Amino acid sequence: MIEINGITKIYKLSAKKKKELKTNKDVKIAVNDLSLIAEPGQITGLLGPNGAGKTTTLRCVSTLLTPNKGYVKVCGHDTVKEAEKVRDSICFLTNEIKLDEHFTVDYLFTFFGRIKNLDDATIEKRKKELFDAFEMNNFKDKKIEELSTGMKQKASIVVNLVNDPEVVIFDEPTSGLDIVTAKAVLDYLKKLRSEGKTVIVSTHIMSEAEKLCDKVAMIIGGRKVIEGTIPEILAETKTDDLEDAFFKLYMENTGADKEESHE
Amino acid sequence: MNKVSLIIKKELYRVFGDRKLIFSLYVLPVIITIAIYSLMGSMIGKMTKDITEHTSIVTVVNATGDFKWAIDQSGFADGAEITYIDSDDYATRKNDIEEEIKNGNIDLVVNLPENFDEDAKAYMAGEGGMPSMDVYYNADENYSSRANSVFNSTALSVYKNSLLSERYGDVDLLEAVNINTVSLSKDSTGNATFMKMLLPYMVIMILFAGVMSVGVDAIAGEKERGTLASMLISPVKRREIAAGKMISMAILSGISAVVTTGAMVLSFTLLGSNSGLDGMGFSAVNFSAAQIIELLLIMLSLVLFYVSVISLIAVYSGNTKTANSVISPIYMVIILMGMMTMFRTGSTTPSYLYAIPVYGNALAISDITSNELGLMNFIISFVATIGLGAIITVLVTKAFNNEKLMFNA
Repeated sequence: MIEINGITKIYKLSAKKKKELKTNKDVKIAVNDLSLIAEPGQITGLLGPNGAGKTTTLRCVSTLLTPNKGYVKVCGHDTVKEAEKVRDSICFLTNEIKLDEHFTVDYLFTFFGRIKNLDDATIEKRKKELFDAFEMNNFKDKKIEELSTGMKQKASIVVNLVNDPEVVIFDEPTSGLDIVTAKAVLDYLKKLRSEGKTVIVSTHIMSEAEKLCDKVAMIIGGRKVIEGTIPEILAETKTDDLEDAFFKLYMENTGADKEESHE
Repeated sequence: MNKVSLIIKKELYRVFGDRKLIFSLYVLPVIITIAIYSLMGSMIGKMTKDITEHTSIVTVVNATGDFKWAIDQSGFADGAEITYIDSDDYATRKNDIEEEIKNGNIDLVVNLPENFDEDAKAYMAGEGGMPSMDVYYNADENYSSRANSVFNSTALSVYKNSLLSERYGDVDLLEAVNINTVSLSKDSTGNATFMKMLLPYMVIMILFAGVMSVGVDAIAGEKERGTLASMLISPVKRREIAAGKMISMAILSGISAVVTTGAMVLSFTLLGSNSGLDGMGFSAVNFSAAQIIELLLIMLSLVLFYVSVISLIAVYSGNTKTANSVISPIYMVIILMGMMTMFRTGSTTPSYLYAIPVYGNALAISDITSNELGLMNFIISFVATIGLGAIITVLVTKAFNNEKLMFNA
């Protein structure tokens, strides 16, 4: 289970960043007082446009960032005070975290298995399971640099799942994948759900969220604007699909932001 | 298995599992080192041989019979092509001949004045002053310089002695002091001046280059490629990652230092006996076991210091480009520190200078080559370098815990 409790993450902006973002402010509030619970046996989705704070939230969950306010607990462990215990039970998948191109899939699988405190017999067992599930057997002795983009992504997923983690955190799971690989990944996420794992994903593809998620939270401008199952959200926003719901909420909330800045 | 050793194993496998990396890190520097020194040695050797074997082009003006005898007797004529001309001929062609010397077409001109024979005879008889002659050569030309020095030590020397013995009988009576010159130096220094100048500079530079080539990529490169993050979300302490990275960097650059130094020593040994480098002290250096241990310990402390410095820069840089641009000026300072020890004069260097990292190590290495390194100075240099390296290592470990540095967050 993941318990996100009122986290706020503030970045100090460098002169260069200020220029990029075209702002005079010294800080950017990436996540603003966000709370959310992701239950085991469910896929929870974070929905929002680029820059909404989805990735920052997931990085806080996966111990990479320390929130300025609030806390996150993963399987009952605090992500700041007990970071190593949290890292033992999670798998964080994102496009930005890559595998070293010089090694083979097989070598990295074994290496990360050992780093994640597994014995060699368990590593071999997991290797067989995952390589079969993701059809990696023909590629296991290839160096990462020899693989196609889609295969690299698959290799990264396989290697990160070595320790059969209780919690799977996935930032943009299908980004950059071809349709076949994307389906394989989504199917595996559903399999993990059926095994009782806690899965949290971020996405800006509403149709993907509709098909995949048991529960979604929409984030706009660092704030959570709505949370619930998809029927609950549609009922609350009086819309027919998630995309309409999102745009309705987006207009309401970005409009509110503008009023605030006029004050 | 201990996680630090797991990381070290992975880092080493990364290099040793890649033929291209082995070649560029270890094989290529050796080939280049041996090639450079072999080329240098053979060129110096060839040049020396060429100068020695060159037949000097000499013009002697107004030579007397005795003078010709001295030239033949001394053996100078064997390595020279001598043209004898008279004063009239010389007077008409004087400007041309001077031009020929400047152009390097004539190596040496000896001009005996017209009354030289009378002056010489009067001198031999114990009357009159010393006869004089003019010798022209070109100091910018190797052939000419050599012709001049050989002429002085052979023909002229024989001729002078014959004049003197004619006048005074026993030439030895003219010597005021009998001088026996013996060069004394401490044990094993021999003729190691050149080595003393070169070794500290080479060692501190080669070690830095070795650490630089593996260190920047191991940290800044991995940050840039996003591969370091996969370690950061694994259940392993940040200080274990830092330790694993830094120890493997030390091992890899240590091997590269040993290999390169080995190649240098090998090429010096090969060249020492048969080239112009022989006299420069390459073949005269014999280290005792204690000296080798001191040298290795100094190299070890330097490697650890360099690893900490480069890691700190790499961890604070967003990418390899930034890291390299910061390291370049530091590399120049390191080279400068190595060069500073080359021009050390005086008998004692104050001990506190040995506490300056890099410079102190260079001083200590320089002292080892001349067997002058005291235990106190050795300890000061070793402890100061390791100490500062340890402080910087703590900063590196702290930086590994800094989310802003690790993710540009």
